[in-house]
Amino acid sequence: MSRVWLPCGDYHQRYTEDQGWWQTNVIKGKMIFLLLIVFVVFPLILDEYWIGVANMVGYTALGALGVQLLIGYAGLITLGHAAFIAVGAYTSTLLILKFPWPEFILNLGLAYPISILVAAIVAGLWSVLFGLPSARVKGFYLILTTMAAQFITVDFILTQYVSKIGGRGQAFSLPPGTIKIGPWAMETDLQVYFVMITLLTLTIIMMANLLRSRVGRAWIAIRDNDIAAETLGINIIWYKLLNFFVAGFIGGIAGAFWVCNCAALSPEHFPWFLSLWLVGVILIGGAGIDGAIFGSIFMVVIMELLQMASIPLGEHYPRILFDFAFIKEMAFGLAICAFLIYEPRGLSYRWWQIKNYFNLWPFSY
Amino acid sequence: MGQGGEIKDGDTILKVEDIHMYFGKVAALAGVSLEVKKGEIHSIIGPNGAGKTVMMNCINGLYRPQKGNIYYKGQVINKVSPHKRAELGIGRTFQKLELYGGMTVLDNIRMGSHIHLKSGILSGSIYAGRTKQEEIKERKYIEEDIIDLLEIESIRDQVAHMLPYGLQKRVELGRALALRPEIILLDEPMAGLNLEEVEDMARFILDINEEEQWKTTCVLVEHDMGVVMDISHNILVLNFGNVITDGPPEEVGKNPEVMKAYLGEEDLYISRR
Repeated sequence: MSRVWLPCGDYHQRYTEDQGWWQTNVIKGKMIFLLLIVFVVFPLILDEYWIGVANMVGYTALGALGVQLLIGYAGLITLGHAAFIAVGAYTSTLLILKFPWPEFILNLGLAYPISILVAAIVAGLWSVLFGLPSARVKGFYLILTTMAAQFITVDFILTQYVSKIGGRGQAFSLPPGTIKIGPWAMETDLQVYFVMITLLTLTIIMMANLLRSRVGRAWIAIRDNDIAAETLGINIIWYKLLNFFVAGFIGGIAGAFWVCNCAALSPEHFPWFLSLWLVGVILIGGAGIDGAIFGSIFMVVIMELLQMASIPLGEHYPRILFDFAFIKEMAFGLAICAFLIYEPRGLSYRWWQIKNYFNLWPFSY
Repeated sequence: MGQGGEIKDGDTILKVEDIHMYFGKVAALAGVSLEVKKGEIHSIIGPNGAGKTVMMNCINGLYRPQKGNIYYKGQVINKVSPHKRAELGIGRTFQKLELYGGMTVLDNIRMGSHIHLKSGILSGSIYAGRTKQEEIKERKYIEEDIIDLLEIESIRDQVAHMLPYGLQKRVELGRALALRPEIILLDEPMAGLNLEEVEDMARFILDINEEEQWKTTCVLVEHDMGVVMDISHNILVLNFGNVITDGPPEEVGKNPEVMKAYLGEEDLYISRR
């Protein structure tokens, strides 16, 4: 399902057009409309609560994009992505709290943006470290090494050592006003929403561009057939590590965003379940960047709806409220089972079919 | 399909010297030597299990022979990894198709030109300026040279695994060509094709071997004796890891041992003609 057909009757005449971002004016219009909705309409019409939900969607999507890059594009199955998100979050927090920033950078409000970038790079390098075994192992064995990343990073290094910095026990909290972008201190959910949507848009652009250039093709080549890739001059180990780097980089961005969303940080925010959750998101979402986005929207919104449904039910069955965490996990498992059986190619495949139906209309053959 | 043209450049481009390859106690290759001159089509024939594909894999770097040397343009390349050998100019097609099934034909061929592009993660993620230009330039080259040569214009946007077998073989040849190799290892390019497709494929091989633009040396593993006898300049005959003979087709065709080992006792040409 790699190709979306042009609308009936449209043809390209130059290679530039065929390789362009937005293939036709209609598509261009649709994308600008979408950007308008997420940047202007949503902030205007959504209330505080749903903006908070949107922020969670964005956070999940940023995490899931990294997982999509590893699993979906390079075939490197990972169950430890939360570790890299955690590394990003901790790097960003420590930089904001402990780094002796020059006065003018603090005044300009550049400390947090710089820390996002540094956090992303550190998380990328950390990810490469745990990607090194991928040079020798594949499949199930690689899953175990990435799980090692999770347990070593979060349960050992972060919990035992990094959290103790400052001597305040387990959690960091960022006082109001420390997270500042330019003149704006991040105080309301709406401001956080704008940070989220900007980071998400930039990440998607970056990733989409990578995937249509040389590096992205090399990743797909390794996923589909590594022996043939090698005979075509692709250095498999180098590109696998590069894939780990970029996935970790995106994870680091997600982590740094989490800091701004939560203003507090604890190793408990990055359990192994989060890694599993992100894999579930892309299983439900399906292939491609849009798969990661659809999956995050679906999972987060479904969970919110479940929560809303459980509140009136709680009047009659109070246990539901107590056990909500378990119900959530159960719903997660159920959703994955249902998708694997009834919609194994995920939501993005359905979306692709719908798009092609309209594009090819009236000659759908 | 006549005899191939004159050899313009007779220097040795690839030399395999006394290589041994064992899998456990089975000798897949026991002291095989081969010398390929620039500009020729050198075929390797032999019955099933003779070690032809193993030989290709050794030249290509997928297997490391236990003994013996492989020279490419005078350099020993035994320890060079497969992707470096591709950069040196050794292209390869496979007997069992190794296409990227989920990708379009165009993307498959584009994959072949990996080593000729330069963008990295930073320039690739921005995709402007030089990266964009080189992608367009590459696209132009692929469309106007490779796709045009192989006559696969109509299927360039189709997903590779949906195509008929003969076309997939052609796409794989295109992918190997996009590497712009100096020497191309063709592992049974005609296996499983019908007569018309075989003729097409033979013409493509002659084209890439003879045309000024390509001038590619070919090492051909093939079972179709008609084609092999017609288009090769030299033929190496293997049997269970040993060389029976190496020489021009006329000589090989007359060699009694070859006839016994491979060509069968009744008829010289086991061919579809």
